Amino acid sequence: MISASQHSQPISKRAPPARVSDQLFAAIPTAWLAIFFLAPLAFTVVYSFGNSLFGAVELGFTLKNYQTALSGFYLSTFLRTVQFAITASALCLAVAFPVAYFIARKAGRFRTLALVLILIPYFSSFLVRVMSWQILLARGGVFEGVLNFLHLHDGPLDLLDTKTAVFIGMVYAYLPIAIVPLFVVLDRMPPALLEASRDLGASRFQTFWAVTLPMARPGIATAVLLTAVPMLGEMVIPKLLGGSRGVLMGQAISSQYLQSQNYALGSAMAVLVLIAVAVVVAALARLTKGFAEVAA
Amino acid sequence: MSVRMDGRQKRITDAGLTLWFGLAILFLFAPLAISMIYSFNLGVVGKQTSNFTGWTLEWYPAAWNDLALRRSVQTSLYVAFWAALIALGMGASLGYALVRHPSPSVRKWLSGLTYILLIVPEVVIGVSLLLFYAVTGIPLGAATLIAGITPAAIAVTALIVRARALTLDPKLEEAAADLGSTRLKTLWFIVLPQLLPAILAGGLMSYAFCFDNLVVAAFLTTPTVNTLPVYLYGSLQYGPAPSVYAAATVVFLFTVTLLGLAALCFQLSRRSGRAGVGGG
Repeated sequence: MISASQHSQPISKRAPPARVSDQLFAAIPTAWLAIFFLAPLAFTVVYSFGNSLFGAVELGFTLKNYQTALSGFYLSTFLRTVQFAITASALCLAVAFPVAYFIARKAGRFRTLALVLILIPYFSSFLVRVMSWQILLARGGVFEGVLNFLHLHDGPLDLLDTKTAVFIGMVYAYLPIAIVPLFVVLDRMPPALLEASRDLGASRFQTFWAVTLPMARPGIATAVLLTAVPMLGEMVIPKLLGGSRGVLMGQAISSQYLQSQNYALGSAMAVLVLIAVAVVVAALARLTKGFAEVAA
Repeated sequence: MSVRMDGRQKRITDAGLTLWFGLAILFLFAPLAISMIYSFNLGVVGKQTSNFTGWTLEWYPAAWNDLALRRSVQTSLYVAFWAALIALGMGASLGYALVRHPSPSVRKWLSGLTYILLIVPEVVIGVSLLLFYAVTGIPLGAATLIAGITPAAIAVTALIVRARALTLDPKLEEAAADLGSTRLKTLWFIVLPQLLPAILAGGLMSYAFCFDNLVVAAFLTTPTVNTLPVYLYGSLQYGPAPSVYAAATVVFLFTVTLLGLAALCFQLSRRSGRAGVGGG
């Protein structure tokens, strides 16, 4: 047994083995991720500067791939992708915010149930759900029927293979991911703060605008991050719901690898997507300035 | 309560929010419901149609007897199991290091790495891995696919474990050390039991996540390693059979049952844990 006089010593004595385990906890995942995540990304960056031969790349330093990727069809695809991601992410946020607000403030003892309900569809096959949207949005389908029933639309509706269908699909797919961080931040907000605002004479709207919304900024930033970033690379939804006209970056990159076998151009396009992601992250970091412990 | 509370305005806002929530739930569940209903659709010449042509039960046995479909489910189960196990171990280790590594700069680097894992779009990871394996000459197979889908799952697990590790009381570990426990013993008997629910939750999330992975898997697939989502994606070209919907329905019910059981275990373990703490 250890006596009380030794009390201060054991920690310093045991410091070396503690450090070994701490280093291992950090080192093992880092090593794994260095091989299967960082190294592949580094390959992509290096190859984006190489000369393309069919199905192979001659390493070197040329900006030719970036020139191609930033001109004509490829440039318009890139710009369209950025525009889609920003718009769809904003739509997603607009739909998600009232839902998160309801769960955090109004659902009472049903809040856990409400959160579970939001997350359940997430555990079914993503692809099959998108395929089901094809059925829902088809001409003469359920969506058209509902709109007709509500007198919001009259007659047949061709939504499939349009931009609108892609937006519906994107908002649908990323809604749960947007709701969760918004819920977390609204849930943590002290009710006393809102009561204080009301007591000081602010209207409900003013309280929402001047207290709730600014306080929710970290949650909003996380929600935008978690939706806009994957949307920049989304390749399934545009293909299934948008048809052949509205090709986005994800499909364009994929076809450079799988069909055209132009790895160098594909790599340059992938790097462009990464740059767009970095811009989004930087913008969000500015939005949440002043908040400690924020994602990203 | 505020005196100025305008009752009528509040009621209207509340009703609006409730309605909005209801519509959101409807929106989220409509495709799920459709995919289940259409697994009973007769279809036309063995293909799924957007018009419901009549009820049938034939697609469930058809899915079971479809060898390629069944093999893809097996591959998915196998791949998701091993990927989740790796993500569980690596994620737990990373999540704990995120909180407890003695060096702040290492912690900062680790958290930067964790977030980067989540923000690189899947298509970029997919093509990068394809390139990486091609250049290094590693032949594609189940192992390369398993390794390739782990990074995002590791990040998710690490963040869940980190949230739990932040609430751990360091004094407990110090007390164990003071009483003569080695670091390894402290980790095993003090830290691990407290982190276990979070680690298991992370593992389950990873499992569901990896099972459903389509984009990365689409780039790393081979004729022998074909997961369910990749198989479905391929079948889209010819028009999918309703048996695909039947398989998806069965897999979904299986996953939800698994998660329900896990939630139940989690609840029970937490209750018994609390009782233990209260008793001791």
